[in-house]
Amino acid sequence: MEPAEAEFLAEKELVTIVPNFSLDRIHLIGGDLGPFNPGLPVEVPVWLAINLKQRQKCRLIPPEWMDVEKLEEIRDQERKEDTFTPMPSPYYMELTKLLLNYASDNIPKADEIRTLVKDTWDTRIAKLRLSADSFVKQQEAHAKLDNLTLMEINTIGTFLTQALDHMYKLRTNLQPGESAHSQDF
Amino acid sequence: MSEAYFPVGPGLGPEENFLSLDDILMSQEKLPGRAESALPRLAFALGQGAGADSGDSIPEGSKLEIPLWLAKGLHDSKRRIISMELPKIYKEAWRTVFSADANVVDLHKMGPYYYGFGSQLLNFDNPENPEIAQTILQTFINRFRRIMDSSQNAYNEDTSALVARLDELERALFRAGQKGLNDFQCWEKGQASQITASSLVQNYGKRKFTDMDG
Amino acid sequence: MAGERAAGLVRELHRAAGGHLPPFRAEGLRQALEEMRALYERNQADVSEAKSGRTDLIFLIRFRHCCLLRNQRCVVAYLYDRLLRIRALRWEYGSILPNAIQFHMSAEEVEWFNRYKKSLATYMRSVGGEEGLDLTQDIKPPKSLYIEVRCLKDYGEFEIDDGTTVLLKKNSQHFLPRWKCEQLIRQGVLEHVLL
Repeated sequence: MEPAEAEFLAEKELVTIVPNFSLDRIHLIGGDLGPFNPGLPVEVPVWLAINLKQRQKCRLIPPEWMDVEKLEEIRDQERKEDTFTPMPSPYYMELTKLLLNYASDNIPKADEIRTLVKDTWDTRIAKLRLSADSFVKQQEAHAKLDNLTLMEINTIGTFLTQALDHMYKLRTNLQPGESAHSQDF
Repeated sequence: MSEAYFPVGPGLGPEENFLSLDDILMSQEKLPGRAESALPRLAFALGQGAGADSGDSIPEGSKLEIPLWLAKGLHDSKRRIISMELPKIYKEAWRTVFSADANVVDLHKMGPYYYGFGSQLLNFDNPENPEIAQTILQTFINRFRRIMDSSQNAYNEDTSALVARLDELERALFRAGQKGLNDFQCWEKGQASQITASSLVQNYGKRKFTDMDG
Repeated sequence: MAGERAAGLVRELHRAAGGHLPPFRAEGLRQALEEMRALYERNQADVSEAKSGRTDLIFLIRFRHCCLLRNQRCVVAYLYDRLLRIRALRWEYGSILPNAIQFHMSAEEVEWFNRYKKSLATYMRSVGGEEGLDLTQDIKPPKSLYIEVRCLKDYGEFEIDDGTTVLLKKNSQHFLPRWKCEQLIRQGVLEHVLL
């Protein structure tokens, strides 16, 4: 999967906006949206929030976790624990990028938030590599990927599955026999 | 990199992939052997050059160098007409080097199909087979970390020094790691949604100009 | 040594990285097939001798047979990998290939490409309701219906949805429906400008 596809999925997450226009409920394949009333907060998918924001039709209310104090706590926790801690959103990375890019004027301390999320990400990626290596070293058969997000798995996914595939085949070398007499010329 | 071209990958392990270009080139690599009986009319065919008095025949006990595909085809565990030996990198002395520190070995120079070729050597009923198989696997495991880290860290830099000592399988793995990294960085910079020209097309564009120059 | 020519074909193709399609080697292929025919004929003759008692020939016969199979594998893999590259061109470039690429293809490969193209078109018409669905579009999730593009070369007149035409002139910039220009971007005529 490509990062653009992970981001596409993230755009279905809901965020709260405060519209400055009024519109009746609209019915779409993906579900109903609205109704929209000026000054009245309403939950919409991120793709719509960004679209409205770009056209200056709304103000965005950042998700609760997109807050310096909360993110500091998350970062510290992540650094303290050996395992992956649960993230506030399965799309924390994508949402941070999208919302900070399109609505940074509605998000207090945007730059600090960007840095905190990036620090957390870096810590998690370092852990991911460490655990991938120990997984390979100990020749484990399965691994728990609890609390890892799609984007994180994505950056190393192809590499890791290919490597594990190679390792599996090199391990079948250890059991001679059955298939040994192949006829490839 | 082209996004729609997916070549047939190498088989690795006991089976080759019949249609894999990588496996064909891998099985083109030579290994040492010996004629256990006289082989009439084969000296020229095997590129041994005719001996002074033996005509086109290979005398018993002659040393041979033949490609893996041929060694596999001629191998017969019941009637041993030629016997195959291990290339030195799979022998005990080198296995010791690998177990001491697999990362120091230049697998490109010694291979370049260390894993694939080594796996295929197990076809020849060598008594050392279990140790060879174990060494190959352990080498991969021990070199894994360095390949992962270098492929996931090297952004926007010349990677030729990083891959110089990797065997072909490791290089493909390195490329996969680089793609993961580059795709992510591209996304972070906000370029992931950009539609780009096909690399296939770009190649032809360049090609056309160089053709005109030449 | 037998099999060298066929292996040479494979080696050349393997060197062309990233799915690039090198020129079709008709002569190399012919030589490989000729070698196979010669190996086969010599084996035919020696097999009858071996049957009448010359068992010392059996190893030689086996050797030639290996070479024959090796040639076969190289030739089949060569042709097959080329087809994979040609198929990729349909997805990355579109259904009409420029001459520079067609010059690198054999007549049979051109024929194969045309059939693949038709087969894919038939399939794409059959999915996604009455109008069909162009599966080669929107390789990446689209962000908007219209995109900003810059012309990299003089292309000429270009008709858009509503019947109007725009002149695609080198270095001119346009705001066009994404689905209309995706292919031109992939072909290197237009460049997608991010806003």
